[in-house]
Amino acid sequence: MTTNGRRTGNKSGRMPHFRQSWNDLADRRGVQPTVAYAVSLLLLLALWQIASMVVRAVYGNPFLPAPYAVFTQMIRNAPGLGWDFLLTSWRLVLSILIALAVGVPVGLAIGHERVLDRYVSPMIYIVYPIPQVALILFLFLLFGTGNATKVALVTLVLFFQILVSARGAAKNLPQEHLTSVRATGASRWQIYRHVVLPASLPDILTSVRVGIGLGMALLYIAETQSERGGGLGLFISRKIVFARDTAFAGIVAMAILGLVLYVLVDALERVFCRWKYAGRRRR
Amino acid sequence: MEAPGVHLSDDGTLPAMIEVSDLTVHYGKGERAVEAVRDVSFSVKPGKTLALVGPSGCGKTTILFALAGLLQASAGTMSVGGSAVTGPRRDVALILQNAGLLPWKTVWQNANLSLLLSGEYPRRNAASVLEKLGLAQARTRYPSELSEGMKRRVGVARALSTSPTVMLMDEPLASLDTLTRESVQDLVLSLWQELRFSIVLVTHDIEEAAFLGQEILVLTERPAHIKARVENPNMGTEAYRWSDRFYAATAALRQALEQ
Repeated sequence: MTTNGRRTGNKSGRMPHFRQSWNDLADRRGVQPTVAYAVSLLLLLALWQIASMVVRAVYGNPFLPAPYAVFTQMIRNAPGLGWDFLLTSWRLVLSILIALAVGVPVGLAIGHERVLDRYVSPMIYIVYPIPQVALILFLFLLFGTGNATKVALVTLVLFFQILVSARGAAKNLPQEHLTSVRATGASRWQIYRHVVLPASLPDILTSVRVGIGLGMALLYIAETQSERGGGLGLFISRKIVFARDTAFAGIVAMAILGLVLYVLVDALERVFCRWKYAGRRRR
Repeated sequence: MEAPGVHLSDDGTLPAMIEVSDLTVHYGKGERAVEAVRDVSFSVKPGKTLALVGPSGCGKTTILFALAGLLQASAGTMSVGGSAVTGPRRDVALILQNAGLLPWKTVWQNANLSLLLSGEYPRRNAASVLEKLGLAQARTRYPSELSEGMKRRVGVARALSTSPTVMLMDEPLASLDTLTRESVQDLVLSLWQELRFSIVLVTHDIEEAAFLGQEILVLTERPAHIKARVENPNMGTEAYRWSDRFYAATAALRQALEQ
């Protein structure tokens, strides 16, 4: 292709094969997204390096540690950091799972059953805007200073997030989908199973994506509130003043946790919402 | 010709497959109730077709949904196969305007949905119906990957999968281009000639009513009631679409609608 392009020549002098080979690269599915991911991460590292150099030049002090220093600390602190990473991971994942297990059924039911919607939605409207982090002291009183409070706080926030989006999705379901299934004599459970849930799933997964960031922020706050229990939040807050490089190692660990969870949710969507990608695949 | 499962009555005539008398349907309750259908009566013999034609939004679909057991009648009675309509039933299939396919299910899952929900799948499946409608190759595709004509055929396949005795169609071919629409009409006609289910077709399209209805009821603006009945005995005859009889039928219908 390339040699052919050169041999035939081009009067305008532009390389005719360039566009073609770029499209070829883009068409190599499976490889291309991974390459894009890598490029994006490298770009971020470069920006970070530049930012750290700028800070150093302006303030005469490395307030913002450079990537190399941070990665060195990550390796040096690997055992402790790894343990805190696992602690934070399981707290976050457990919170997401509990919030999904409760929020999805309740949200779908409120969205689908008109009577429930009428009586329960006002309650949600009044409770949802309360910043749940304001309840943290109350949660400490209820659940103590252990894992339960941390998980409860994040679950509480994610629950409302998921509830509200599940309700919205179930409520905006096209009537024709319901009618066509009702006409076959489907039971209420079958309508949830075959229509309401699958139709709402993309919105629910989107709310989980939003929830990952939100949950991580709240988990950080909760973890810094007690001197025991570990987790990345405590790791970072202990080191931030006197060992900034190490603290940043904890921040990078949190970022990695976020990335892993996002990739996981994307993978779940590709499995459970295959239909959403089907049209694009063949067109 | 006798449809399966139907027996002659004592006097040798076929009892009606569908019997609707004095059907009235209201939406809402009390003073704010809206009358959608007023005193509609008709009957369809086994293996016959009936078209309901009227302006958009006149209440045609309401009649169909009531027959499908999806709506409560305010007054009047409806029966299918001799028993009163109290809810959705498996010998009555409904085909909706946009085929009513679920976007998250493949062609195979959509076609088998009725059988799945009634617990018959996988003992019984829609393989032969899909084959007959030329959809066997498309089994694993999703609705978003199908042409409009194919979507309608999948809708027909789902309806046929349970071998219904009555087929209710709500503007099944609306928003299709002319050639696709006519090809699906031909398909419905040939399936009807082969399987002899009874059809109640709701449409605002005069030609469609004339092509698929042996009897055509012309409805008024809301609330819908019958303002004319047109017999269409030539429906389904050889090369009907290109015949003068077809044009005569559409002309008669147009006149009835405009009156």
